Amino acid sequence: MHILPKAGFRRLTDALAERYALYGPVRHEISGEVIFDLVADPGEIDLDAPIPFNPPKGMVFPQAERILSFSYDRATKAVSIERDDLAAAKAFVGLRACDLNGLLCLDRFLLGQEYVDEVYLEYRKKMFIVSNTCVHPFPQCFCVCTDSGPAAVEGFDLDLTDIGDTILVLAGSPKGEELVRKLGLAEAPAAQAALRAKAVEASVGLFDDQARDNKAWISRAVNRITTGFIPNEVWEYIGDQCFECGACSFVCPTCSCFNVEDVAAGEGRSGRMRAWDSCSFEGYARMAGDHNPRKAVEDRRNKRFFCKLSFSQSKKYLRPGCVGCGRCVRVCPGDIGLPNVVTAIRRETTKQVPHE
Amino acid sequence: MIYKTGICNFCGTGCGHLVKVGDGAVKGVFASPDHPVSQGRLCVRGWHIHELLTTRERITRPRVRRNGVLEEVSFEEAVSLAADRLAALPPEVVAFRASPRASNEDNYLLGKLARAVFGTNNIDLASDAGHGNTVDVLLESGGLPVLLASVADIRKAGVILVIGTDITKQNPILGSELHKAARGGARLITLSSRVTQIAKLSGTHLQSSPGSKRVVLAAMAKALIDEGLEDRAFIGGNTVGFESFARALKAFDMGRVARLTGLDPEAIREAARGLARAGTAMAVFASGISGLDRETIAMAHNLLLAAGKAGREGCGLLPATGVCNIAGSFDMGATPRFLPGYAKAGDVSSAERIGKLWSARLNGRPGRTVDELLAASPSPLKALVVADHDEGIIRHAGAIKGLDLVVYVGAYDNPFADLAHVVLPAATYAETDGTYTNTERRIQLNRKKVESGPGILPAWRIWTAIAAKRGVSWPYRTSSDVMEEIAAAVPAYSAVTYGKLEKGFGLQWPCDARHPEGSPRPGPGELSGRLSFAAVSGEFAAPAPTDEYPFLLTVGTDNHFWHTNNIMKKTHIPKREYNALLLLYPKGLVEISAEDAARIGVRDKRPVKVVSASGSMQVSAKVSADVRPGSVYVPYFVEGMIPGFLEAHGSLLAGGEDSVVPVRIERV
Repeated sequence: MHILPKAGFRRLTDALAERYALYGPVRHEISGEVIFDLVADPGEIDLDAPIPFNPPKGMVFPQAERILSFSYDRATKAVSIERDDLAAAKAFVGLRACDLNGLLCLDRFLLGQEYVDEVYLEYRKKMFIVSNTCVHPFPQCFCVCTDSGPAAVEGFDLDLTDIGDTILVLAGSPKGEELVRKLGLAEAPAAQAALRAKAVEASVGLFDDQARDNKAWISRAVNRITTGFIPNEVWEYIGDQCFECGACSFVCPTCSCFNVEDVAAGEGRSGRMRAWDSCSFEGYARMAGDHNPRKAVEDRRNKRFFCKLSFSQSKKYLRPGCVGCGRCVRVCPGDIGLPNVVTAIRRETTKQVPHE
Repeated sequence: MIYKTGICNFCGTGCGHLVKVGDGAVKGVFASPDHPVSQGRLCVRGWHIHELLTTRERITRPRVRRNGVLEEVSFEEAVSLAADRLAALPPEVVAFRASPRASNEDNYLLGKLARAVFGTNNIDLASDAGHGNTVDVLLESGGLPVLLASVADIRKAGVILVIGTDITKQNPILGSELHKAARGGARLITLSSRVTQIAKLSGTHLQSSPGSKRVVLAAMAKALIDEGLEDRAFIGGNTVGFESFARALKAFDMGRVARLTGLDPEAIREAARGLARAGTAMAVFASGISGLDRETIAMAHNLLLAAGKAGREGCGLLPATGVCNIAGSFDMGATPRFLPGYAKAGDVSSAERIGKLWSARLNGRPGRTVDELLAASPSPLKALVVADHDEGIIRHAGAIKGLDLVVYVGAYDNPFADLAHVVLPAATYAETDGTYTNTERRIQLNRKKVESGPGILPAWRIWTAIAAKRGVSWPYRTSSDVMEEIAAAVPAYSAVTYGKLEKGFGLQWPCDARHPEGSPRPGPGELSGRLSFAAVSGEFAAPAPTDEYPFLLTVGTDNHFWHTNNIMKKTHIPKREYNALLLLYPKGLVEISAEDAARIGVRDKRPVKVVSASGSMQVSAKVSADVRPGSVYVPYFVEGMIPGFLEAHGSLLAGGEDSVVPVRIERV
């Protein structure tokens, strides 16, 4: 563990800016909205800002991108396939633990299984991640229910914890250690180093008072979703409230579904585009021959929460598919963000239990 | 920053979004968390607007038709040709059609072009069917088309009457507000013949037979008055005309309610009581292409006035506009009857006031709508100028083919261009600055995000160029200059400036000397006089099935085929969703109840013939629990069937979503 005086934070971002395009939480100059965005000036990064409205996944798994292009020359019958050069190496600065866990879920899905997603890998292997401990929770947070915060455990190059005038810096990789050395950061005295754990503990203690918007006691929901013991009426109740907009998937740090479409670009050229997709859409699961195992809205919603909370899916992510960021609650036109669904399942499964 | 603040350009809700820009191009979109209307939400259309903004299916070059073929020409040449040929015709035979997705600046200048340069009041708005009726009722009542409620009122209302409208599909984020109000304890009463999503989410669904909404509303008003639940203090202090409204209702026999509406009269009475006794109450309906007829809107308006539910927080009428700038287009005078600011086109002093501002002598004869002109036989029309025609349907295509001159100005490829003699490319809303006025009168500035292609100008500059060709020089350097003039022309916009607009999330009009920062809810006290109860006919009929035509057919839209197929089809994901339905029902569908389907002997996806007194079409049956026995429903998402069948019923369908065509369904 090392220390960085708060006033010296700019040295860290400036050093990163030499090699990376910098992304971080920034506040909109007029509206004050916090967005995870590319910064022109490292000074825009605001470590105290609440959780950005957009998850950082869009920077490594864009909403829409061309993953390759191909052309066909009719005269010579020559076919060529090219891959686009991906943008510069990126540094994420000030990533909250929930979002870092989201990124790790994406890694496990897109890189950790039988097939490796080359495009995603290209983004990921060039990255530098600086996580930021939440020394207090925000109103929508429930990472303590999903084991994804308030501090990062793995996956960062550097991790920052604000302890007042000083930032504790924990290196999590050789790249991180190298930067610590380059900046000449002083080793934290043992007493100061112990403050990280204390800050995390204090933050957890603040959840009851400060993180009041959502609660998601997921254990029973995990059990029932995994075993399928949820009456269909519960899914119908949830499905009736689904507006089929796809927002829950788009804002979810762990959602990784995409659609691929070849789009003609003129003059014998075509682009292979990939775009975020969502299990809330009817066309998502439609197969050739018009078979659709998930045609009804409630069957599609059932699928979403199976993906987020079932044990079989958690085995793939090595954790639940929900990281407790609370974004799906805010963007849902219905009222079926994950915490409400968990509540609906818990209510249904507890209502027959006799009690005084 | 690569995410740039803007306003969604689809429906009239006017949600805030963030457009992702990189390498000079649109890369994506995200919801804007703090926008006062959308508060972090977007619908399936809004979440995919970047797919439209990046489509290659754009009009990119000026073209002129020569020997039947559109040939590329210079901008100068195309503009000269259009201007000269329009000027050569008498004003009565020239017409202009504005786009409800265009900005206030675009449509203000198109109106000025039509009126001040070419001397005609023949200007209208595509998809305006319902909103004109809304404007009429509100103008008649308050002297100002004040849409009496704001979106924020929804969550403060105790009872919300949802009149028709598949609102979770048409204006999804308004639908979301209704749902969240209900979750917070409000009582939703949905009056619709189909089981829509909002009907499912409502505590009370009055599933009336098609075409009987105004009868149900009349019955509610009558029940309210019969039981002495009218708000005497509000009526006495703020309104006129209650007695004549009550008199008109006297003639209505409650004994006929069940037969006319298919509803239990007691259910209607109970809903009326609920509305009257609630501390606050609102009514929401669709205003636009699938709006309501004048009489139904008048009845809803009168019902709220009688209940004293207007002009205060949590109360009032909220017409949900179907396209992003329908409301603003009316404010700008994109209608034959009104100059900017609802000054009557035929009124001498209005014509003088606006004429002075425009340095022109305005034609005092009110104009006619494009549809009126085209439907006349023989049609007097010779030339038509059309901006961004997004509807999948081109009505009166045959008559348009016979015109001497058709000028099409638009951003995206469009079948209308196939009918045009002159085609001019226009910038998209993301390629220029402009303001849009949403369903709650919120004027919102959308800033330019990306450059348009070479030679592609925003529509307001194109109108300026055409005027210049006629020797009329307009001084606007930016769209902000146009807004300065709008502020001078439209009293309710008189304090609007770009400087104010860019500091926040828009200004709700009236935005004037009295309300320099806009007004969420102009109360009755702020109007020039008292609110009047709208005149109602005193006729209480509803369409009834006959032996020959035993089904009542209604028409509507959905999320993915909305009413602007031309643009939804240029996306990827919404297009896929649209295609999912199209592949199942390639020739269109008619929704029919299981009971009726069994009686006729048809199964789902089997072809059936829909026959009315004036035409027939063959589509597939979709057996659905969403329609009640005796009624059938056709979503108009297949272009081919529109001219073939629905156009033949233009007069029957003119009343919007509660229009009904009596039909029979035959097995094929």
